[in-house]
Amino acid sequence: MANAGTDERAARRPLSPHLTIFKPWLTMMMSIAHRITGAGLYVGMALMALFLLGAGVGGWLHTLTGWLASGFIGGLIVFLITWAIFHHMLGGVRHALWDRGLYMDPQGRELLAQASLYGGVGLTVLLWILKSLAG
Amino acid sequence: MSVPTHFKSGRSGEGAAYVSDHEGSAHARFMRLSAYALAPLGVLSAWWLAGLVGRDLNGVRAEIGHPLPAIVLILFAVVGMIHARQGANEIIEDYVHDDALKEKALYWNRIASIVIAGAWTFAIMLIAAPK
Repeated sequence: MANAGTDERAARRPLSPHLTIFKPWLTMMMSIAHRITGAGLYVGMALMALFLLGAGVGGWLHTLTGWLASGFIGGLIVFLITWAIFHHMLGGVRHALWDRGLYMDPQGRELLAQASLYGGVGLTVLLWILKSLAG
Repeated sequence: MSVPTHFKSGRSGEGAAYVSDHEGSAHARFMRLSAYALAPLGVLSAWWLAGLVGRDLNGVRAEIGHPLPAIVLILFAVVGMIHARQGANEIIEDYVHDDALKEKALYWNRIASIVIAGAWTFAIMLIAAPK
């Protein structure tokens, strides 16, 4: 191992204490929220896969997994998944704009952070209103 | 007077632990390209997933047991879980510093993403199969 010394020194490097020293800017909170909704969607996809498997196989398996999309808890799970989809999607749009060098000034990035926060909630509410109207 | 530069790749040479010329740009490109597909797939999937709430088996079949929702939901799960696996890899690499634990986490992330996408796809095929 030619790198043993350097690897060890690299491992001992201190981590950035950014979470404890930075003021929680909205852009920073939205960055964290992007990661949390992403991880949440991973779990949400697993739960929905279980529900769908139960619905596909039917019988005892559906009895076991049916709660994942019915009742208060199941409804809440699906509601949170739809919100996470919209929030994470708008986070992606925000990154796509920044990739192109747009909205990178202080007002612009604050606007985008707010747009993805309220936009995600707004799209979720709109979806469920339309869904209930569609029956 | 010549100064030997001793260039070595950051991948394998001296100081490899300090550089990361591994797969960063391919990762970034993949996340962006898959996101283009996932945006429309995600909106449509959110619509059909919302329609599952409180439905019995026949209701679920009526909601998503057709070719269009079935294809969209399968594409969403497959592209989405590859995207999710890459994203989770990033999270693991950021927060798990113990090498052995990191390898283990990356391995199980791969298995979990394949199982989730596979189970989801199989389930949709069962639901949408003509009776």
